[in-house]
Amino acid sequence: MKEIAPDALARTTRINLLFDFYESLLTEKQRTILTFYYHDDFSLGEIASEFGISRQAVYDNIRRAEAALESYEEKLSLLAKHERLVRFTEQLEQEIQAIVTNDWDKRSLIEAVGRFRSAEGTAREGGEGSWQHLKA
Amino acid sequence: MAVRIRLKRMGAHKAPFYRVVVSDSRSPRDGRFIEEIGTYNPVAQPAQVTIDEEKALKWLQTGAQASDTVRNLLSQAGVLKKFHELRQQK
Repeated sequence: MKEIAPDALARTTRINLLFDFYESLLTEKQRTILTFYYHDDFSLGEIASEFGISRQAVYDNIRRAEAALESYEEKLSLLAKHERLVRFTEQLEQEIQAIVTNDWDKRSLIEAVGRFRSAEGTAREGGEGSWQHLKA
Repeated sequence: MAVRIRLKRMGAHKAPFYRVVVSDSRSPRDGRFIEEIGTYNPVAQPAQVTIDEEKALKWLQTGAQASDTVRNLLSQAGVLKKFHELRQQK
């Protein structure tokens, strides 16, 4: 049996997030291959036969695309900023819930937090989608 | 025909969420799959994983190959360990 790469999951999550931010800066080919590999979890061999190129070529393409994504993040930090923002919004909401006693104030503050989330593209409804039925 | 267990990305922009699906290795990326056996939400703190253990074991025992990422999830959920134990009993 094959060894388990312990960081495969963490890597997939990170690259998919970076891809969301910097997708439009990649070439068409890089976008396609990353989509197969990280959105659909195809193996190198499967992608190679899909495009009629060698496994090594697929691997090189993926590594280069990942390096490009990481270099954009290094320069622009959009993902890091987004993650901080999500964390602070979360904290802000908890504090409003805990501290504000007037119901009317509380509601308008929570609504303001909601507008902030939509502006950042992380409105709650959107992020969860159709998997609710599966939650234990 | 090989059967694979893989992650399928769903979820919104900037909020990835995955289904664990069983599919034919030659089925194209059109969203068709044989069965959904779990979910993985890495954005939740801590990350949420649900695996239908019975279905997962059934597919592994019939020779379905899990991708590296799915192997990660199954091993975290203790499913791979059970699978190996079951195999040794035979």
